[in-house]
Amino acid sequence: MSTLRTYGSAYRVFTVVIAAWLTAVIVAGLVLEIPRLNILEETARNLYFHVPMWFTLMGGMFVSAYHSARVLGSGRLVHDVRAEQAALVAMAFGLLGLVTGMVWARFTWYVGTGKWWNFDPKQSMAAVLLLIYGAYFVLRSSIEEPKKRARIAAVYNLFAVVTVPFLLYILPRQTQSLHPGSEGNPAFSQTDLAPEMRIIFYPAVLGFLALFWWIYTQRVRTTVIERTLDGSLEPDRLPA
Amino acid sequence: MDWLAGAWAVFRKDLRLELRTRYALNALLLFVASSLLLVVFAVGQGNVTERVASALLWIVIVFAAAVGLGRAFVAEEERGTVLLLQLHLRGSMVYAGKLLFNVLLVGAMNALAALGFLVVLGLEVEAPGLLAAALGLGALGLAGATTLLSAIIARTANGGPLLAVLAFPMLVPLLLSVVRVTQRALLLGASAGPWAASVDDLVALGAYAGVVITASVLLFDYVWNDS
Repeated sequence: MSTLRTYGSAYRVFTVVIAAWLTAVIVAGLVLEIPRLNILEETARNLYFHVPMWFTLMGGMFVSAYHSARVLGSGRLVHDVRAEQAALVAMAFGLLGLVTGMVWARFTWYVGTGKWWNFDPKQSMAAVLLLIYGAYFVLRSSIEEPKKRARIAAVYNLFAVVTVPFLLYILPRQTQSLHPGSEGNPAFSQTDLAPEMRIIFYPAVLGFLALFWWIYTQRVRTTVIERTLDGSLEPDRLPA
Repeated sequence: MDWLAGAWAVFRKDLRLELRTRYALNALLLFVASSLLLVVFAVGQGNVTERVASALLWIVIVFAAAVGLGRAFVAEEERGTVLLLQLHLRGSMVYAGKLLFNVLLVGAMNALAALGFLVVLGLEVEAPGLLAAALGLGALGLAGATTLLSAIIARTANGGPLLAVLAFPMLVPLLLSVVRVTQRALLLGASAGPWAASVDDLVALGAYAGVVITASVLLFDYVWNDS
């Protein structure tokens, strides 16, 4: 399989570092002191887990869109594998983000009411993005031939991902919502995040992005191997 | 072939074929009429608020489009005319002709669906011009989003039901704005003028149509050409 270069020991060391880093972040996030705010109280710890899910969903979206564009540009199928796996892992993280967000909103503001959904632009966008990727996988399963599948799926990926987040996220910046960063102000300005939370928050974002990268690279490698073995992905050049 | 002449030729071809068989038009009209009947029986005797009526109208329109617009490119495959079009015309001409045809089809359907809804649910229109603007811009956005998608599903094995799956997530931004505008056009005795309150949403609708059509034009060649 010469379509991917082999990862050396640096990769393995890095994965151990990621595992240790995230363990430290999770333990610190649950154990260390946080400032007490009305209504939020201990649930503010969810910040360390919910927001990084958003970052990974966005990161995965960009990676998937980039590799879809490369499929259209170069026609090499390995980019199709990368686009597909980035979409898959992004979907998983996005689902977690949606669920943690809904549970968080429920326990802070909606206990006693019947509400679960906030109609916030970011939340709507995450839900729509999940549906888009679901449709992407349904489309992929309806085309048999690998090159055609890669090309058509790439077109849909780019079409949906370039238009919808722009329209759902950038345009409705004027509405009120539970998220900081609505009503025209950018999210996480100086006053929004206390210093003792920042110490854990920034490492959490980095840790979860690294986790996304780790899972994504593993899935790409196993998928390339599977598909080379069953013949749907030809290696770029014959092994020596 | 000159670009405008080519696009116009595709449009006229589709129009002539459609007027000959009236397949898509009949399918859409019947779908709208049946859905109206279902809505009437589902809603029953009580009054619906303007918001709910607008929501029902646009849901019916979106489903009708998903059912009726899927055949735009599939018909070419079935008739074997794809190669003819690929040889004579550039991809952008084919797309433009099909888009124009779809805009007219959806526009006609929107007008009839809205008329049916107003009559059947007994609604009064506060701002008919605003309602027409909502229906027109909505038709533009809807046709813009679904034309490229129907080209995509023409390349799949049996992708008829797939248009709904592919299109609905992309139509969410359109739906958000257009239902609000329709609601304001129906609301009687609103405090601010309905046009003034709808400027943001109308701009959003125009932006939606512009964005999806631009993206479709850029991506169409990759779907149309086979390599």
